[in-house]
Amino acid sequence: MEKPRILKNGIAIMGLVIILLYIIMIIVSSFWLPFDPSEMDVKHVLESPSFGTGHFFGTDEFGRDVLSRIMKGSSVSLIISISATALGAVFGIMMGIWAGFLGGRWDNFIMRIADIMFSFPSLLMAIFVMAVLGENTYNVIIAIGIIYIPQFARISRGAILSLKSNEFIRAARSNGAGNIYILFRHLLPNSMPPIIVQVSLSLSVAILLESSLSFLGLGVQPPEPSWGNMLSSARKVMMIAPWTAIYPGLAIITLVLGFNLLGDGLRDILDPRLRNVS
Amino acid sequence: MIRYIVKRLLSLIPVLFGVSLIIFFLVRMIPGTALEMYMGTQVEATPEQMVELQRIFGEDKPVPVLYMEWLGDIIHGDFGYSLRTGRPVFPDILSRLPLSLELTLFSLVLALMIGIPLGIVSSLHQNTFGDFISRITGLLGLSLPQFWLAALMVMAFSGFRGWIPMGNYVGFIVDPLRNLKMLFFPSLAIGIGFAAVVMRYTRNSMLEVLQQDYIRTAKAKGLKHRSVIYTHALKNAILPVITVTGFNTGYLLGGAIVIEEVFALPGIGRLSLYAIYQRDYPIIQAVVMIIATIFVVVNLITDIIYALMNPRTRLDDTTR
Amino acid sequence: MGKEIILHVEGLRTEFQTERGIVQAVNNVSFVLHRGETLGIVGESGCGKSVTNFSILKLVQYPPGRITDGTVLYNEKDLLQCSEDEIRTIRGKHIAMIFQDPLTSLNPVIKIWVQIAEALRLHQGMSKKDAKAKAIELLKLIGIPDAEQRADNYPHQFSGGMRQRVMIAMALSCNPDILIADEPTTALDVTIQAQILEIIKNLSQEHKTSVIMITHDLGVVAEMCDAVCVMYAGRIVERATIDELFYDPKHPYTIGLLNSIPRIDQDSEEHLHSILGAPPDLIDLPIGCPFQPRCTHAMEICAYKSPPEFSMGGDESRTVACWLHEKEHAHG
Repeated sequence: MEKPRILKNGIAIMGLVIILLYIIMIIVSSFWLPFDPSEMDVKHVLESPSFGTGHFFGTDEFGRDVLSRIMKGSSVSLIISISATALGAVFGIMMGIWAGFLGGRWDNFIMRIADIMFSFPSLLMAIFVMAVLGENTYNVIIAIGIIYIPQFARISRGAILSLKSNEFIRAARSNGAGNIYILFRHLLPNSMPPIIVQVSLSLSVAILLESSLSFLGLGVQPPEPSWGNMLSSARKVMMIAPWTAIYPGLAIITLVLGFNLLGDGLRDILDPRLRNVS
Repeated sequence: MIRYIVKRLLSLIPVLFGVSLIIFFLVRMIPGTALEMYMGTQVEATPEQMVELQRIFGEDKPVPVLYMEWLGDIIHGDFGYSLRTGRPVFPDILSRLPLSLELTLFSLVLALMIGIPLGIVSSLHQNTFGDFISRITGLLGLSLPQFWLAALMVMAFSGFRGWIPMGNYVGFIVDPLRNLKMLFFPSLAIGIGFAAVVMRYTRNSMLEVLQQDYIRTAKAKGLKHRSVIYTHALKNAILPVITVTGFNTGYLLGGAIVIEEVFALPGIGRLSLYAIYQRDYPIIQAVVMIIATIFVVVNLITDIIYALMNPRTRLDDTTR
Repeated sequence: MGKEIILHVEGLRTEFQTERGIVQAVNNVSFVLHRGETLGIVGESGCGKSVTNFSILKLVQYPPGRITDGTVLYNEKDLLQCSEDEIRTIRGKHIAMIFQDPLTSLNPVIKIWVQIAEALRLHQGMSKKDAKAKAIELLKLIGIPDAEQRADNYPHQFSGGMRQRVMIAMALSCNPDILIADEPTTALDVTIQAQILEIIKNLSQEHKTSVIMITHDLGVVAEMCDAVCVMYAGRIVERATIDELFYDPKHPYTIGLLNSIPRIDQDSEEHLHSILGAPPDLIDLPIGCPFQPRCTHAMEICAYKSPPEFSMGGDESRTVACWLHEKEHAHG
């Protein structure tokens, strides 16, 4: 039997492995953590990483175990990233398909709005929406999701448009297939490849946006740990306890890289036009 | 060419109009009126004073009228008054804008200066290992949190006095050396990840161009390796890099906001964060509007540069 | 013969490394080119005729391509042993090339005159101003109207035929000894083809330039060439003068090629012949004659032994690589 194409793509596999490791870590952390991530311990404040104490990544300014907080924070980051991407994808794809399929005035209107949304740098838009909605975890999801809506709309519209003029759609139409049937049977399945790639890349950007917001104090609020707010509080003590800043940062980079590797590998696999371009 | 520029400039008008609309109505979604914010909880006002204040804050008029008034004001450079200090917003922003613009521009220049040469050099050593390394580097560049890099830099270099001069911003014209010293590490933190992305794009684009027939023609003419690479190949290979750069100036602008905070640089990013913490909405409104405008204009400029460098898009000047 | 030999290719081998294995694109090819002569190299696409000529100027890209053996003597110098710097002084100045597709062979972002002037400035040390004047002069010579204005155009503003004229102007700008034309008319309309061939013919005669005309079109050969090499699967299977080729073809492949040309004077009852089968896989070459699987005259020996080039009547310029003609060779 032929191996699935994803297994032949080293880049995609690397990404997949990293993401799987994180998922395993999240599952483990949901019923076991080395230490209670919110338990303060005044006797062990800012301890450097050591095997003896069991604080492999050291402790923070309240004596909390950095590793446990990173593990707990990974589920926060991942949940936000997945929810925001889902939010953006669902609404964006609906708008994109609507625009691409109906065309005409609706298409024009929706794409104009998307153009306007693209005029805001992502992080600025996220900060602005957070300022309007107020700082909490749910609003982070909304803020990032809003940024994603026009991106998904544009991509799914493009995919639909390029498919609409295809011979096989015309053939289906001449066989008497209705709009709804063509949409679900032909257009949606065939427009999935670029959308899947976009999902993967959006997951990575969401983690960066969330950590930036939380770092600025506009995202996930302490004491709930997130990688961004851990870095934010680490700023006050990182001169004497660099581990409080280094490890959460590495956690962000690895997971984001994982999604980027997956997305890039998927692009190779799913987009035949790009297959020869590394 | 001029027709193209004018056309693109005109197309900015509806976009910026839409941008202002979004900003205005999003700010109106914030619970509580600006007046309530301004008053806080401590001060009591007489009913007469309240009516007067409502008139000043414009809360006696319907929202669409307020929007039109606001739009008219910002076109004249009047962005209203700070709720905290009572000072006009626009001069404050103007005085902080050069720093932020310089930071973005500097990080862009650094990214291109690092990314393009590395991309060219790596494209000349074409092999699968090089492909792999450049790909991983590019993806890693996309994955770096700029604020984390900035924090590490502050941490690493704070021991060395004068490496990262803190304190008041010194304009480039006033003291270029101190200015560049001040902005070097912040710009690097913003731009280094993008440099990796630029490198990867340059490499891929070069590799594709080097396969083209016109490169063989250039070689068949007996041109030196340097001319083939830098004249014939690079002129073509740089085009997609320009497009990618245009797309990503938003990433650099956004990066500047966070990095100003880490390095304590008094730019508009820091101003806007301060305004958000203080719920000073006229400032937020103004900063978002101005950054979005800058972003749109930068994209326009990249489009024009692209059009200038690619003769195939200059369709309207065949007579030249 | 008494004619001066200007280029002598001997035992040339070029191979390409591919994922499936090594492709022997050029397999022991030898030929001579005389001064002022136009030599045709004919064959189906993929037979190695273009690679042969890229190899002469070491323009085969490595990787994946590699010249593994042979000599290319020009002015008593072996071009294949030249350093990059040395061969660069030959390219464009003494040996110039015209390529198949004039659209992709011209740089899209560089003005026409600059592309023509480049070689002039490099090889003849002209100033920018002189080179531009010369470029415009060349454009006029090859029949570009409004040459002064059009010189500032970019390739996309030119038609296909005009682009190929520009390629010719570029190649002939330094009065080379040898012009290699790689299917110069394939990408053009039939009406333009004749004009382009006419220009090449006139200019080469005027400047006593020797031409290697690579083509799959026997009509072009008949029009242009003095002598012909027929290539098949990376080898030369027959060499002949133009008259010998058309009136006394020897190799079954050559005969097949000639029969596949539609002829006006042909009896309509007769079929237009085509050569059955497909060119061989150059990775998995048959042990014997490469043409044997498609040959209607194949004998037992053809399947296991590759024929050498038999010279007809002791004439080195008239050879056939086919066992059918072994006897003619022996009897001299």
